[in-house]
Amino acid sequence: MNNEQESKEIIKNIFFEVFSNLDKNDFSWEKEQKDYENWDSFAQLNLITFAEAKFNISLTLEESIEIKSANDLLKIIEQHLA
Amino acid sequence: MNLIDFLKKNVENHGDKIAVIDNEKEITFIELYEKVEKFSDNIKILNQEEIISLISENSISFIIAYLGIINSGKIVHLISPEISEINLFNQLKSSKSKNIICNQLMKKKILNFNSIKTTIFDIEEILLKHNNKEIESSLNKFAYLIYTSGTTAEPKGVTVSHSMIEFTTKNIVKVLGYSNSDTDLLPLPLNHSFGLGCIHTSLYVGSTLVLLKNASNLEEILESLKKYKITTLAAIPATLTKILNFENKKLEYYFSEIRLIITNSTAIPKKTVIQFKEILKKGNLATYYGLTEASRSTFMVFDKNNQREESVGKCSPNVEIKIVNKEENNLKLGDIFIKGENVIKKYWNNVEADKNIFENWLKTGDTGYFDNEGYLFLKGRSDEIINVGGEKVMPIEIEQTIKNIPGVEDAVAFGVEHEIFGQTIKLNIIKSKNSDIDKAQILSYCIKNLERFKIPSKIDFVEKIPKTDYGKVKRFMLK
Repeated sequence: MNNEQESKEIIKNIFFEVFSNLDKNDFSWEKEQKDYENWDSFAQLNLITFAEAKFNISLTLEESIEIKSANDLLKIIEQHLA
Repeated sequence: MNLIDFLKKNVENHGDKIAVIDNEKEITFIELYEKVEKFSDNIKILNQEEIISLISENSISFIIAYLGIINSGKIVHLISPEISEINLFNQLKSSKSKNIICNQLMKKKILNFNSIKTTIFDIEEILLKHNNKEIESSLNKFAYLIYTSGTTAEPKGVTVSHSMIEFTTKNIVKVLGYSNSDTDLLPLPLNHSFGLGCIHTSLYVGSTLVLLKNASNLEEILESLKKYKITTLAAIPATLTKILNFENKKLEYYFSEIRLIITNSTAIPKKTVIQFKEILKKGNLATYYGLTEASRSTFMVFDKNNQREESVGKCSPNVEIKIVNKEENNLKLGDIFIKGENVIKKYWNNVEADKNIFENWLKTGDTGYFDNEGYLFLKGRSDEIINVGGEKVMPIEIEQTIKNIPGVEDAVAFGVEHEIFGQTIKLNIIKSKNSDIDKAQILSYCIKNLERFKIPSKIDFVEKIPKTDYGKVKRFMLK
């Protein structure tokens, strides 16, 4: 696995941990916050906390607010790891 | 009955019995009584003073000085040997104590404190004096004064009367079954309510007390259990949790003759309770809930048939506890108030703190609830609540969950400022020896075991968590 694939795998797992009722077939990189049943402000906080712990990074408030999909989170993490 | 009566009763019943063992030294009840009498005679020259401060590590000398000061008709102001210069200055100012009695080592330390102008006496020198003056004295209403170093920044002076001590001691004996056939191991600081209560109990029933300087040497504690044929052990939860790191089979050997381990209400991890239930073949682990202001207000004996490992038990005999709810909630959670003869009537020179006592009810600052069978469960202090975007979180709940994770030795949860939520939860964790647990594993455990607003947003692995001598977290020092 290259770095991008590894990051993608970790992010997918973060989503499955934070949204415990998310079916594997329901995950998509483009699926937006509004399309998740329980992506509220606490879920947002949990996603960011997990991402910071798993990638050993620290996101700013602005970056945290921008995240509206798995793809958004991937992009921000890649910027940090670049 | 007061503490001196307790001692006299032992002199009459079994004066030659060993009262206290301190390493290689030991003292019988009659020798202890004679030294207490001599000590009090020699300090009666200070009879214009109501309060005398005592600073000493755990030792037979401490017990002689403690009882000697009381016997001279004065109040003992108990001070931790770890005290800082500024705290000592503040306590002396508040208590109006003009004399400090301490051991030689402490005397050297205090003489280096430039702000302390109080007269300092050496315990051993007092015992060597010969005073022929007969000075009449009667006991003060109060036995001792302790400043609750506690978990908040502002210490409060608590004076404990002889009648409070008698009431509490009788409750301890009644519920936990102490007797003169016990040998009690005490690795606790004696300048706090927990350690003092153990001394009072031993004096009341006439058991033998084995003192250790502290609880830092776990092997010494375990070896002492066998060496002195110990039947009861008093230890804070952190000590008990650390002991569990020893090989389990060996622990069963060390604790094979123990009938009681008493710990205090600082949250004891559920897994520690469960493991000690297994280890103790002939006895029980017990805990209590109390404050210096209201000692031993509940008791909980964790026997094999009771699965309430997170409860602090039922009210002590003749002690009342009520829960006052500000808001309706399913658990009937609210502020804990205590009333009984174990509760102080007022604080020492502190009108502001006295507002917490109304019609003999003490507002403890703790929150909790009773289950249907009258078992009390603590949920933390009302001033420790973390408000995460309007959701109220008690740190103790997070801490109890985290402490159940293998590889976590200790953990503390507290609120940190957050631009969106107002506050979020931060965790400081001490890893167990050789543990390689990481933050992501902690979070994975949290998300499976806690509601989403209780998931910490920050985790730090730390070497130390600031605590009082009794294992209560000094929350104002957390960052």
